[in-house]
Amino acid sequence: MGLRSYLIRRILLVIPTLIGVTLLIFAVIQFFSPIDRASLFITDIKGTSDLDAIIAKYHLNDPVYLQYLYWLQAVLSGNLGWSYSSNMPVLKAMLKAFPTTAELVLISIPVIVLGGIKLGVASAVHRDKLIDHATRFLAIIGWSLPTFWLGLILLAVFFGGLHWFAPGRLGTTSEDFVNNPTLFTQFTGIMMIDGPLNGRPDIALEALQHLVLPTITLTIISIAMIIRVMRSSMLEALSKGYITMARAKGLTEKEVINKHAQRNALIPTITLSGLLAAGMLNGVVITETVFQYKGLGYWAAKAALAAGGTGGSDVPAVLGFALFTGILFVIANLIVDITYAYIDPRIRLE
Amino acid sequence: MGQRLREFKSGMEPTIHELRFMWSRVVENPLSILGFAILAFFVLIAVLAPMMAPPQGPDPYIIPRGSQFDEPSGISATHPFGTTEGQYDIYYGVIWGTRTAFRIGIWVVGASLIISIAIGCISGYYGGVIDELMMRFTDIILAFPGLILAMALVVALGRGLDTVLLALVLVGWPGYTRVVRAEILRVKSEDYVEAAKAVGCSDLRVIVRHILPNSIYPIVIMASLDIGAIVLSAAALSFLGIGAPEGYADWGYMISLSQTWITNLKYWHTFTIPGIFIATFVLGWNLLGDAFRDVLDPTLRRR
Amino acid sequence: MSENVLDLKNLIVRFYTYEGIVEALDEVNLNLRKGETLGLVGETGCGKSVTGLSVLVLVPPPGKIEGGKAVLQTEKGNIDLLNQDEANLRDIRGEDVSMIFQDPRSALNPVYTAEDQVAEVFLQHRLKQLCNAVLDKLERETQDGGSLKKLANRYEKWIFQKMLKNPKSLSLRVLSKIPIARRYQRRLKEETRKEVIRVLGAMKIPDPERVADMYPHELSGGMAQRVVIAIALGCNPRLLLADEPTTNLDVTIQAQILELIRELREKFESSILYVTHDLGVIAELCDRVAVMYAGNVCEIADVTDIFKNPLHPYTQALLESIPRPGKEFKSIEGEVPSLINPPVGCRFNPRCPKATQLCSQMKPKLVEVEKDHFAMCHLYPGGSK
Repeated sequence: MGLRSYLIRRILLVIPTLIGVTLLIFAVIQFFSPIDRASLFITDIKGTSDLDAIIAKYHLNDPVYLQYLYWLQAVLSGNLGWSYSSNMPVLKAMLKAFPTTAELVLISIPVIVLGGIKLGVASAVHRDKLIDHATRFLAIIGWSLPTFWLGLILLAVFFGGLHWFAPGRLGTTSEDFVNNPTLFTQFTGIMMIDGPLNGRPDIALEALQHLVLPTITLTIISIAMIIRVMRSSMLEALSKGYITMARAKGLTEKEVINKHAQRNALIPTITLSGLLAAGMLNGVVITETVFQYKGLGYWAAKAALAAGGTGGSDVPAVLGFALFTGILFVIANLIVDITYAYIDPRIRLE
Repeated sequence: MGQRLREFKSGMEPTIHELRFMWSRVVENPLSILGFAILAFFVLIAVLAPMMAPPQGPDPYIIPRGSQFDEPSGISATHPFGTTEGQYDIYYGVIWGTRTAFRIGIWVVGASLIISIAIGCISGYYGGVIDELMMRFTDIILAFPGLILAMALVVALGRGLDTVLLALVLVGWPGYTRVVRAEILRVKSEDYVEAAKAVGCSDLRVIVRHILPNSIYPIVIMASLDIGAIVLSAAALSFLGIGAPEGYADWGYMISLSQTWITNLKYWHTFTIPGIFIATFVLGWNLLGDAFRDVLDPTLRRR
Repeated sequence: MSENVLDLKNLIVRFYTYEGIVEALDEVNLNLRKGETLGLVGETGCGKSVTGLSVLVLVPPPGKIEGGKAVLQTEKGNIDLLNQDEANLRDIRGEDVSMIFQDPRSALNPVYTAEDQVAEVFLQHRLKQLCNAVLDKLERETQDGGSLKKLANRYEKWIFQKMLKNPKSLSLRVLSKIPIARRYQRRLKEETRKEVIRVLGAMKIPDPERVADMYPHELSGGMAQRVVIAIALGCNPRLLLADEPTTNLDVTIQAQILELIRELREKFESSILYVTHDLGVIAELCDRVAVMYAGNVCEIADVTDIFKNPLHPYTQALLESIPRPGKEFKSIEGEVPSLINPPVGCRFNPRCPKATQLCSQMKPKLVEVEKDHFAMCHLYPGGSK
């Protein structure tokens, strides 16, 4: 019992889960031929010609469990193979693309949380009035839209038609500018931070402008889901006895809603967040592809289509991406579980 | 023989009464009627596809091309919805795409259901080591965002629509299994199951006749809501290029063809029309799933 | 003649439901004298809970209070609760009038500790006292510690003086959200916790320190109800509404809680409106009794008078139907009427063994039949006075 012991137990649970993640990726790897699997260990362009040495070095003809151990060792030391499509080691390519994706995700999260939760609460509190009907209508449409289609439409209308926003992370001149190490230092890789740090706040604004459409595309489905869940759980919470009791204490209606009802209503929403994190990671791939937003998702999608490996895909890249997102997802779930335990004391008993 | 039939019929009466009640609840709600209507519309298209858009080659799922030009063309008499990049006829594509969508949805959800019911029942009913192992296994698969894992699987197994179906099943069954198992666990502890066991029913009989019918509702709700999501995922994979092959009648694929042309609003039909089909199809299933949930939720049911 | 703490006159409450308009309270009249415990007894659905909620003006939608007066005696004089704006009502709720609910588990919010929930009443109504207590403590600590501590001390003094004058000021609201600046809340929490422990102890809760940190799901039924009572009595209200507080508890716990209520009303000198369907509890606890049927108060009298000499046919039937060993089981004929289309005239007339034609035409009035014994029945047309 108690928050701390629950936290410790939960964090320890991450380890076997991560091992499971690596096992699954390894299982997928087994579907490839030894040559393909060898390509997972190449760390530079020269390695492609020397596959036999690699097969020997990493025991690729040995029993499966040995292979797993050698592969795991390679992974833990940062060797995720060579990416044909980006002409550099997989890990390096991912780390390079990661901040761009992080920028998009970090902007999206507050939008989803504030938009979804606030609208869901408002919808429940003003039940059956205009705001309720409007919100529910938007939610159900939002949930049915294919992300990529919404992105395309937004792009067509706001870029093709109105020329307000443009695809990509920054305009072409700015993009060249920030990639030139002599002119611009990338401290974090996140344009909204690096811009002002380099004395160029306009870069931050430009990045923000380019983020508007991708953020809308990425967040709409999540917001729709949160609104629906928040609304129904708020309605349920508001019908409970402790709400009347709170009113009987003389609390203002605002306090009753925000302090008493909302916290209880958040519980099912937080349970949903794990699912939403998955949705976001999925959505990132699609959104970045549609908007040519060159982050991790865009890179992975391109890698899946790239020529070079057998079967027409950059295998190490795709697998590296899968492993990476698996780990991210495990961490995301951990955060969700901890938040859940913080808010709902009943769960700590388990 | 006639006696048996009569017994069966009278045994079925309460079930029929139930179904009638459910139907009346469904019909009350305008949104669920809309959902049914939408799906009925699509079913009609799927069934009538060969008549509405006669196939012009050995494989009806390959969209006929007007010519070899890249650039799309507008709405005309020969091409009622215009053509998209590569001169693929959009009208043909969306009609046969409906069949593709149904195939994808029903196959994936159907297979996931069968696997998950089997595994969920065994896991939930027998518990113990089997249950633990199963749950760890599903945990591992569920530790990945679905689309990305599906992507990796498709890359591993070779691109194509069949691989996409397989990948989606492999990625989807753990989720279903968890729900099935949770339901089995809930029903298992009910008194009537104890009673059945006390009377000497075999395990299989208990599961099939007592546990399953009482746990089926949430599963049905989940399945109907999921068909929409599955179709969206498959469309996304086709859009990314690793799903349906070139020229295939698949809505997602058709939208990917329109990508290069979106800046020119003259070609709005290349992405709008297939997109409307997808959105409406998914909307229909979502509304239906919602309607089922309203009707079948045991806590909300009241005559 | 002691004065009335609460005087309900012709209270009308209607519920606007899909199936029709439910005439829940049909000109309810009752009065509660200072220091007394008035039992409000009746079957399920007769409107006794709604009466209690009406005093707090917390009748849930689709219900609406549509007529009558609820006069409460306060320090500022007599005020009509049904005629107040929300701000005034909020001051009154929890301070002058409070309520104990039927199901303690559902009356407590599962995600907050007992302390949090009890503290709310104090923070709402006793903020000034708490601020002063904090300021006193700060004053004593003025000379302690180094310069950093002295700075913090001055800052906190400033905060609490501001809070004394205007708790809702913008600067306070902003500061309460900023991580380090809002540490002053710890001081407040300290003082509030003292009050919470004190009142929990007064509820005869063993080890109140530990209980304060518990969550509702960790508390037993009896313990939870004590917490609810603590919340209700925290600010020593002059009127306590008890809505079947022991119905959901085990019989042994029930006895404990009743004992507790008895002690507390001595100590706090509260006037209690005790709603229940249990005649046994009425006999044990109450000074006077009001009997309700289908939205009307049909008889009010001293508790011994009610049992010895019930005047209204419904009360008589009710007392007859109490199962006794050796006695044949007698129930009241007929069913409780639907309040959507209540019977015309006296609402009990379809089931009344002494009904006359007049009863189904005209509603009787509540009149004083004997000394301090009121009944609403045509058998007693003008009362004996």
